[in-house]
Amino acid sequence: MKDAPTKSAARGEHPVKPRSVTAHATLRLWRLTPTIALATVIALLSAGALLAHYVDRATERQEVDEVSVQARVLAATVTAAVAFNDRHAAQEYVNAMRANPQIEVSAIYDAGGMFVNYRQTPDTALPDTVQPDEPRFARDRLVVTAPVTEGGAVLGTVYLRSLTEPFALRLERYTVIGLLMTMASVVVAVLGATHMQQRRANEELARRAEQLTVVNEALEAQIEQREKAEEALRQSQKMEAIGQLTGGVAHDFNNLLQVIYGSLERLSRRLANGTLAPNAEAARFIDAATRASERAATLTQRLLAFSRRQPLAPKPLDLNALVAGLLELLGRTLGETIRIETVLAGGLWRVFADGNQLENALLNLAVNARDAMPRGGRLILETQNVRLDENFARGVEDLRPGDYVLVSVTDTGVGMTKEVVAKAFDPFFTTKDIGQGTGLGLSQVYGFVRQSGGHVRIESEVGKGTSLKLYLPRFFQLEQPTVDEATPLPVPLGSRHEAILVVEDEDDVRKFTCDTLHELGYDVREAANGPGALQALESNPGLRLMFTDIGLPGGLNGRELADEARKRWPGLKVVLTTGYTRDAIVRQGMLEAGVELIVKPFTEADLARKIREVLDR
Amino acid sequence: MRGAPQFHRWRASACWSIVLLVISAGLEVARSQDPSLEYAVKATYLHKFGPFVEWPSAAAEFPGGSFTVCIVGNDPFGALLDRATAGQTVAGHQIAIHRLDRIAGNPGCSVLYATGSQAQPVADILAVVRGMPILTVTDGDANAGARGIINFVIADDRVRFEIDTHVAAVDGLTISSKLLGLAVHVTGEGR
Repeated sequence: MKDAPTKSAARGEHPVKPRSVTAHATLRLWRLTPTIALATVIALLSAGALLAHYVDRATERQEVDEVSVQARVLAATVTAAVAFNDRHAAQEYVNAMRANPQIEVSAIYDAGGMFVNYRQTPDTALPDTVQPDEPRFARDRLVVTAPVTEGGAVLGTVYLRSLTEPFALRLERYTVIGLLMTMASVVVAVLGATHMQQRRANEELARRAEQLTVVNEALEAQIEQREKAEEALRQSQKMEAIGQLTGGVAHDFNNLLQVIYGSLERLSRRLANGTLAPNAEAARFIDAATRASERAATLTQRLLAFSRRQPLAPKPLDLNALVAGLLELLGRTLGETIRIETVLAGGLWRVFADGNQLENALLNLAVNARDAMPRGGRLILETQNVRLDENFARGVEDLRPGDYVLVSVTDTGVGMTKEVVAKAFDPFFTTKDIGQGTGLGLSQVYGFVRQSGGHVRIESEVGKGTSLKLYLPRFFQLEQPTVDEATPLPVPLGSRHEAILVVEDEDDVRKFTCDTLHELGYDVREAANGPGALQALESNPGLRLMFTDIGLPGGLNGRELADEARKRWPGLKVVLTTGYTRDAIVRQGMLEAGVELIVKPFTEADLARKIREVLDR
Repeated sequence: MRGAPQFHRWRASACWSIVLLVISAGLEVARSQDPSLEYAVKATYLHKFGPFVEWPSAAAEFPGGSFTVCIVGNDPFGALLDRATAGQTVAGHQIAIHRLDRIAGNPGCSVLYATGSQAQPVADILAVVRGMPILTVTDGDANAGARGIINFVIADDRVRFEIDTHVAAVDGLTISSKLLGLAVHVTGEGR
């Protein structure tokens, strides 16, 4: 028998099941059966003996009655014969008793003694005188007397002696009764035993049926679990596929945006420093184009986030501090109709995540919550240490059981139907009006949390509200000293003595990057692929930094190129860039020491600072 | 015819045998008819009939309060009757004995034993009480007119009796079937 999964089973305990009470009682009854049968037999035999005794007595009484009646009849009929001393007539009367073969002796006595008599056998003894007496039994004989009276005067006595059934004969009859009783007892015993056996069989059947039910339930549970797992797998595959698609698109867009954005930046800088003739209208157009490309960059960021390919810079974080830091911004964003409450757990574990992205995610959720509460309500931010067990983790793709920090964003809004919940994380799925939402907010949250090794789930009830729960894995390592982010400095410049190799397969991007670095004052070389880069490094020993795209053709990607180059020229600094960071995020999303990353699309200032920072380290 | 005288001789001897038989039988009867024993039996019978007979009324059965036995005519019993009834009762009543020479009108008897006399023969006595509720008893007389309801006879050396239920009915008496069962002969049966 296979037990349904239980907590105790999960703990590895397998308690011995006690036999059921009914089974126990049955066993006891079964053991008692011989005793019961014996008792039944004794009872039946006793009943038989009692019955025999009763029948015996009844028969005796009947015999007494019968013979007494005969005696009285005889007494009444012989009165005249006795009165007138007519022995002849009297003899006829007593002889009439011959008709009854049971009558051994019939006699009439008068005052003078024996008057007349009839005997079955001539040698039968007779008393000389007889007095009226009660009927009595003696030696298988019944003796009955009756007075002969006429007109109140006693004339004589009738004496009847009847043969009763001999004791042996009666015993024989009772033996037959006894045998019948015994047989009845045996039948009772056999019936009892059969019944007991049948009951046992029935109980066995019931037990097996119960076992079958349990097994069936376990099977059904397994099937259900499997269906859930399959559903989860399908969902995850769908998300993966969409992620691939969106990631690819976003990557291409990023490269294009990089060029557009960089060009606009350069144009505006030239207008500003007078390299180009100042033109207010042109400046306005450039501003508009810049804003649009910034928004486009945000969109591609979100797409990348959903596809879990956004570059993350995870750090050990205290979520309580992060939430507390968000409150002021949230208060301004959400408006006065929404009251913000926080329930922050003491002794909260730290997590390892990208703080900016997490803030972004929480902000996104808060905005969604506000939209779900058009007439105001409450927004509850809650943190909590939780332990997710096997049961919880089983239904979730890629989730490991263990310690997590839960941060939940709960609103008292309109809630979501099950159907909406099922699709909420799909990119571009939105319940908002066209133009109101991109359908990427929750997708981004989903992608970010998953990429951070966590889990996100929605609990919602229509009319009651929604709760978004983000589970982020507990961070166990000692805290690294946090580096205070310096306030952005003016764009740091380089010098011609600082030679930089730019490796980029796309000509436009490479050209743009080289131009930017050149403008910043650096000595710039370029290569279109890995082997070309290694060749350039070979022939230019003065190169201090290699700035390379990760996605490179020619059998050597940026990462491998960096490894190879650093092996051969240990002093070489490397800055990686990508718009498509799957390959950059390796080994739990942490970059190796000595390798820096800048994400496309980047601004000129971002690039300048990153390059300066790396060179100065 | 040589046979005829032989036949006659045989017949003669047979006749003699019969005569001898009759004589011896007569002697037997004569011997058994010891007058004292016969009348002693009859004396006890007279009151014993009482329980087997039903009178039309208690007054008829017990005139003057006693079961009354009347002897009309010559008394054949003497002290025998008094001895036989001494201490006896009939249905709790004492027994009275009346000895009468003759009667005219109701003599007030339960049982009337008519022996008759020169002055009043049996037939006359019976004629007087005819229709009265009196059990008449007579001694075996060939003359039917001189028989009472019960008539003693000697049969098988024993004192037996005949019963005339017809007369009994006329007199308003009912005889018990038990008594009828003992009678040698019952007249008026099946009427």
